[in-house]
Amino acid sequence: MSGNILEVAGLHKHFGGLHVMCDVNFAMEEGEQSAIIGPNGAGKSTFMNLLTGYHRPDAGKVVFGGEDITGLLPHKVARRGISRAFQVSSIFGRMTVGENVRAAVHAQMRATFRLFAPARSLGVEETGRVLELCGIEPKRDLMAGELAQGDKKRLELAIALAGKPRLLFLDEPTAGMSIEEARSTMELVDRLNRELGLTVLFTEHDMGIVFNHARKLTLMHRGEIVVQGTPEEVRANEVAQKVYLGEHHA
Amino acid sequence: MSAPSPHHPGWLARLRAGDGLGWPVAILMSVLFLLVPLLPGEYWTQVGTEILILGLFAMSFNLLYGYMGQISFGHAAFFGVGAYATAMLFTALKTPAGAIGVPEFLLSLLVGPPVAALAALFIGFFCVRLTGIYFAMLTLAFGEMLFYIVFSWYSFTKGDDGIQGLLPPDFFQDSANFYYFTLAIVALALFVMWRITESPFGSALRTLRDNQRRAAFLGTNVKMHMLANFVIAGAFAGLAGALWGPFSRSVNPGLLGWGESGIAVFMTLIGGAGAFIGPIVGSVIYTMLQAVVKMYTVYWPLTIGSVILLIVLFAPGGILGIIERRMRAARAGNQANGGDPAAGPSAAEAQP
Amino acid sequence: MDIGPYALQLFSGLSRAMVLFLLSAGLSLIFGVMNILNFAHATLFLLSGYVTFSIFTFLSQQFGASPWMLLPAIVGAVALMSLVGFALERFLIRHTYERELPEQLLLTFALVLILGDVIKLVWGLENRRINLGVQPIEMLDTLVNPYQFVIIGTGVAVAAGLWYFLHRTRFGKIVRAAVYSRSMVSALGIRIPMIYAMVFALGVGLAALASGVFLPLLPMALGIDLDIIVQSFAVVVIGGFGSMLGTFVASIIVGVVYSFSILFWPDGALAMIFLILIAVLIWRPWGLFGTEMRS
Repeated sequence: MSGNILEVAGLHKHFGGLHVMCDVNFAMEEGEQSAIIGPNGAGKSTFMNLLTGYHRPDAGKVVFGGEDITGLLPHKVARRGISRAFQVSSIFGRMTVGENVRAAVHAQMRATFRLFAPARSLGVEETGRVLELCGIEPKRDLMAGELAQGDKKRLELAIALAGKPRLLFLDEPTAGMSIEEARSTMELVDRLNRELGLTVLFTEHDMGIVFNHARKLTLMHRGEIVVQGTPEEVRANEVAQKVYLGEHHA
Repeated sequence: MSAPSPHHPGWLARLRAGDGLGWPVAILMSVLFLLVPLLPGEYWTQVGTEILILGLFAMSFNLLYGYMGQISFGHAAFFGVGAYATAMLFTALKTPAGAIGVPEFLLSLLVGPPVAALAALFIGFFCVRLTGIYFAMLTLAFGEMLFYIVFSWYSFTKGDDGIQGLLPPDFFQDSANFYYFTLAIVALALFVMWRITESPFGSALRTLRDNQRRAAFLGTNVKMHMLANFVIAGAFAGLAGALWGPFSRSVNPGLLGWGESGIAVFMTLIGGAGAFIGPIVGSVIYTMLQAVVKMYTVYWPLTIGSVILLIVLFAPGGILGIIERRMRAARAGNQANGGDPAAGPSAAEAQP
Repeated sequence: MDIGPYALQLFSGLSRAMVLFLLSAGLSLIFGVMNILNFAHATLFLLSGYVTFSIFTFLSQQFGASPWMLLPAIVGAVALMSLVGFALERFLIRHTYERELPEQLLLTFALVLILGDVIKLVWGLENRRINLGVQPIEMLDTLVNPYQFVIIGTGVAVAAGLWYFLHRTRFGKIVRAAVYSRSMVSALGIRIPMIYAMVFALGVGLAALASGVFLPLLPMALGIDLDIIVQSFAVVVIGGFGSMLGTFVASIIVGVVYSFSILFWPDGALAMIFLILIAVLIWRPWGLFGTEMRS
C-alpha cells in the first residue's frame, strides 16, 4: 500500500496580476490522512480547486494514481476517484436526503444516461450503506434544503463518500459544528481511513482537530508551502510560529 | 415499490398523508379527459384536443424548466419545426385533390419529432454552454432567428402565407376520433416522459437544477446531460407540433415565435412547474381562460400578463403548488396534534 | 463613386445608434446594478413615445403649433415616466430580488404584455407621429434630415452627462460600486433599496428621452417594442452588461449595421442583428467591455 497516490509538482496559478499559488510541490501516500493549515487566504481552498479541476493551473503537474490529471474538468476528475466535500454545504436542496446520495451513487456508477430504468431501484445498497455510515438514514425522506446545519454537513460528507472514492478532500469539515458533532465527524473520517484505506486530505482552522486527526501537516501561506511535517515538527518550527503569531492560537 | 415501514411509508400511506399529490390529480384528469367528447357538440372536443396538444408542448418545456432549472424563450422553435416538417411531408403525400390516406397521414406525423430533435441538437449544442440569463437570451435569439427564416424563405415554406389544406383522412376529420387519437398519443408520450423523469437521467437533471457545480463534482458531464435533455424536450415539442398542423388544418410561421414559446411558459407556471402533470393542468386553465376572455374582450395579453404577474408574486408554484402547500400545512397541523413524528419534515429548522 | 446613399445610411445609422444608446444605457444599468433583465424596457420606451405625443399635441393646441413644443413635451414625458419607473420598481420588481432568475424574467415579460395592452387601451391602434416640418439640407450628394444631427448631438451630450454622473458624482460612484459588488455597498451602510429604485427610474427616464427625441423620425406603433428590445439586447450583450462605454460602442455598431443592412437586404436587417447577438453570446457572452460572467 505504499507509493504516492497523489503527486503535485510546481503548481502555479494567478488571477490577473495576483499570484494565488506559487510553485507548490505536494505528495500523498495511499492511505494517508493529512491536513493543510494556514491563515485565511493562504490558498488552501484554491489548492483543492486546482486539484479537482475547478480551476486550471497555469503551470505544474498533478498526477493521481499514476495518471496525469492536470487541468481535467471536474467531472472527469471525480470519475477517477477523487471526491470532495465543500466548506459551505453544497447539496441539492429540492431533493430528499436519500435522493441526494442516490444521485451521487448513480453518477459514480456511470448510470446517469439511463433513461428508462427506475431510479429508485438502482444503487439501493450503496445508497443505504452511505446513509447509515453518515448517520442520516432516519432522515432520508426529508428535503435536503430543510435540514439543520449539522445534518447538512453530514449529507455533504455522504455525497462525497458515495461511490467509494480513493481520495477524499474535505474543506473545513467541522466548521460550524458543535464539539460533539466535530468529534463524531472526525471519528468517522478516521474509521474510513483506517478500515477502507481511504486517503484523506482536509483543511482546518481548529488546531485541536488537526493534532488529533492528521498524521502529516502542511502549512500554507500566501499560496506557498511554508512547512511540512508531523504535527509536532510543525508546531516546533519557528517560521510556522511566526506565520501564526497573532492570527491563531494552537 | 418498497414495503411500508416507519421510515419509508408506502405510496398509499403517502397519498393519505398528502404527499404524492400528482397521482390523484393525474387519475382524475385522465377520467375527465376520457369523458370530454361526451359533451354536446364539437366545440368542447376541439378545445380538449387543443388542450392536449399544447399541454404536451408545455410538458416538453418543463423538462427544461422544472426538471433542469433553465428557462428557454425559444422552445416554440421546435414545436414549429415539427409542425412544418409534418405539414410539408403531408403536402407532398396528399393527392392533387387534397386527400390523404391513413398510412401517409401517420407517416407525415412521424417525421415531426425527429426533425425537431435535429434542430434541437444543432441549437442546443450552442445553448448548453450557457446558463441562466444568457441561456434564456440565446434560446430567444435562436427561436426568433428560426421564425425569421421560415417567414422569409417563401419558396420553401410559403412564408407568411403558411401551409394550408392539411385535411386529415376522413376517419380523423371526425372531432371525437381525432380527439381520442390525440389523447392516445399524448398519453403514450407522457408515459415515456414519466419514465425518463423517474430514471437516473431524471435525477441527474434535478442535480443540475439544484446545484450545477456540485453535480459536476459528482462526476456528471453537465453539458452532455443538458444537451441530451434539450434534444428530448425538442423531440416532444416536435411531436406536439406535428399534431397541431392536421388539427388546425394549417401551419404558419407564428408557431415558432416567442409568443408561442410564451404559451408553454405560462401554462407551466399556472399549473406548477414542480409537479409532473403541472403543465397539463396549466394547459386546461390557460386554454379555457383564453376561450372565455376572448369572447368578451380583445385585451387577452393584458389578462394573461396580469395573471402571470400575480402568480409570480404570490403563487410561484402554480395551482398545484398552492394545493400542495395547503396539504403540507394541514399535515403539519395533524402532527402537532399527535401524528407520526417520523413521517414529517423538520420544518422547525428550515434553512435559508 | 456616389457616396450619397452611404452617407444617408451613415447618418441614419448614427442617429438610430444614439437612440439605441439612450435606450440600452438604461437596460444595461438596470441589469448591472440590480441583475434584472427588463424585458419591458422597449415597451416603456414605446409608452413614453405615446405620452410625449399626447403632451406635444396638448401643448400645441394650447399654445399654438410649433416644433419647439417638443422640448417641454419631452421634459414632461421624462419626468412622468421616471415616476412610473420608480413606482414599478418599488411595488412590483422589488419583490423578485430574492427569487429565482426565471421568475424575475417572467415578471418583466408579463409587463410587456400588460403595458402593450395599456397602450392599446388608451391610444387605440393607430400610429402616432410628429411632423416637425424640418426641411432637408443638402450634404455630401444627398438630402439629409438635419434633425438627425439633433439626435446625434443629444446622444453624445447625454453620454457625456452619464459619464460625468457615474464618475464624478457621489451617487454615480455608488451606482458603479453596486455594479461590482452589491453586498459591499450595502455593508457600507448605503440604503440599497433607494439606489435600486432610483436606478430603475433613471433607466426608464433615459428610455423616455430616447423615444421623445426619436418621435419626429419614427412613428410610434404597436409592436415595434418587440423589434427594438431585441436590438437593445444585442447592444448590451455586445457591449457588456453594466458598461456604459460598451453600450455606447455597441450602439454605434448595431445602429450602423442595421442601417447598412437595409441597403443590401431590406427584410433581413433584423436578422443581421440576431446573427450578431447569437455570435456574441456563443463566443464572448460578456461582450466587449463586460467583466467575465457573473455567477
